[in-house]
Amino acid sequence: MSTEASVRRRDRFLMQTLAVVLAVLTLAPFLWLLVMSFKTNAEIFRFPPRLLFDATLANYAALWTSEFRSSFSNSLIVSVASTLLSLVIGVPAAYALSRWTSRASGTITLWVLASRMAPPIAFTIPYFLAYRHLELLDTLEGLVIIYLTFNLSLVIWMMRPFYDQLPRSLEEAAWIDGATMWQGFTRIILPLSGPGLAATAILCFLFAWNDFFFALILTRTQAMTAPVAVVNFMNYEGWEWGRIAAGGTMIMLPVLVFSFIVRRYLVAGLTGGALKG
Amino acid sequence: MISSRSASFAGAQRRFFVWCVAPSLAVLAIVTLLPSLYLLATSFTPLNLTRPETQWDFSQPLISYGQLLQDDRLRNSLWVQVKLSFWTVLLQLAIGLGVALLLNIRSRLLEALRTVFLIPMVLPPIVVAIIWKVIYTPDISPMHGVFKAIGWNVPALITSPDWALTSIIIADTWEWSPFTMLMVLAALQMMPQELIDAAKVDGASPWQLTRYVTLPFIKGVLLVAGLFRLIDSIKAFPLIYILTEGGPGSLTEVTNYYSFLQAFNFSYLGFSSAITVVLLIATIALSWLILRLVGWGMRVD
Repeated sequence: MSTEASVRRRDRFLMQTLAVVLAVLTLAPFLWLLVMSFKTNAEIFRFPPRLLFDATLANYAALWTSEFRSSFSNSLIVSVASTLLSLVIGVPAAYALSRWTSRASGTITLWVLASRMAPPIAFTIPYFLAYRHLELLDTLEGLVIIYLTFNLSLVIWMMRPFYDQLPRSLEEAAWIDGATMWQGFTRIILPLSGPGLAATAILCFLFAWNDFFFALILTRTQAMTAPVAVVNFMNYEGWEWGRIAAGGTMIMLPVLVFSFIVRRYLVAGLTGGALKG
Repeated sequence: MISSRSASFAGAQRRFFVWCVAPSLAVLAIVTLLPSLYLLATSFTPLNLTRPETQWDFSQPLISYGQLLQDDRLRNSLWVQVKLSFWTVLLQLAIGLGVALLLNIRSRLLEALRTVFLIPMVLPPIVVAIIWKVIYTPDISPMHGVFKAIGWNVPALITSPDWALTSIIIADTWEWSPFTMLMVLAALQMMPQELIDAAKVDGASPWQLTRYVTLPFIKGVLLVAGLFRLIDSIKAFPLIYILTEGGPGSLTEVTNYYSFLQAFNFSYLGFSSAITVVLLIATIALSWLILRLVGWGMRVD
């Protein structure tokens, strides 16, 4: 009996060691970029790397005085605007669809999932052609509109399950007490869906923030977002690895913080609400 | 008074719901349905941006689709797509499943590690591409540094014809294995304890337990995870754009990327639209398959 217990303890130890090794391997590429953003160019080309090097913020300082700053704020503006707009339009629909069982919902379901799954280029070609005439190319408004293609359906299918959990008697009670439908929704239902709203808003923000393809094609200079700006460091400004790493780090930091907050909802977000993790 | 108000509730609610849903449906129609129709219309024209008169020229509606059948580069891109999709989905399912099984052991250390394994998946795709560009660039790559130190002469992988596609598969697998892991972990936590206890009473070894109890329980989730990854692999873009630009030659040029080149590098939007319509139909068919298999709103927790 005691040998069996010791075998089990040994197995457990091996499994944990293996997991730690795998975790380090998973993290290594990511940490390398993070550390690189604090290195001078000479330090970046040194191998083997010194564990203790003189960290510098020069790369970040260089970014902050360059065009990158306006791209970064473009990213912020577009992501926040797209999130708010999607919530304002989508949340009432999510609430109504949760209460309303309609035969058409099956068709709408496939439509919404397909627009989440469609290759971005399927939207980019018609938007590019239309924006040329509407003068929306290289504008923040143009990006906010095309981000509705994924964020609006995300809001509808993330929020619906939250409303499914709220008892239907709530709004009926408010109605009997003399409130209008709209008051019942804004004063009773909305405050109760706070956590769901927060998670959905963060996911919307992340999807807009992470977009690369739409911004690559629909913007030039004025409305360029941070991901496109970092890539331009590679293509047009020589290989400034320190600045590329610093730019990449600045793009990923908000994402890491927010993802950690909403990790419970990641599966639902990534599958367009088809699965809830 | 009260009863008449509660009787009018249903009617008022229905009117209110129409007002709630209408804006969303209208906006979705404008931002997704209308562009899809525009794409379809464009695919029936020989639109070339350098020749504006081709914009609404429907005189030979099927000319682009005819070209699709004869285009060797398109055929090559489909084959590259098949290889990329096959290997990334297979590796991501295998590695995601393995890590999930490993992390499912009850231990505080392993629970803390779960978040670490999620990092690649939540990073912005463009940052993932930059990370791997660094790793695959010999001058600054820690990987090449190690190879050199132990005396291996390894060529730059992303420019080597033998390794370019493999290097993309590796990067994509690093990025997306956590997705399978997350889904499998969620499913494993739903597994009834009685099922495990019963197998243990019958004297099942850990291996038998995994093979005959756990795997059958999670095969549905694996299938769905695989389908989602399959659809996403059709959209692969940032990695290819940053790492190889479809090269060397067209060895890593998947169909999506080829369509992008046709549209925005060569200005053949009509031809590119035809390619994209085919891709769109493929993704809609796969989405439909997912809905058939799991229904909508399946819970995995």
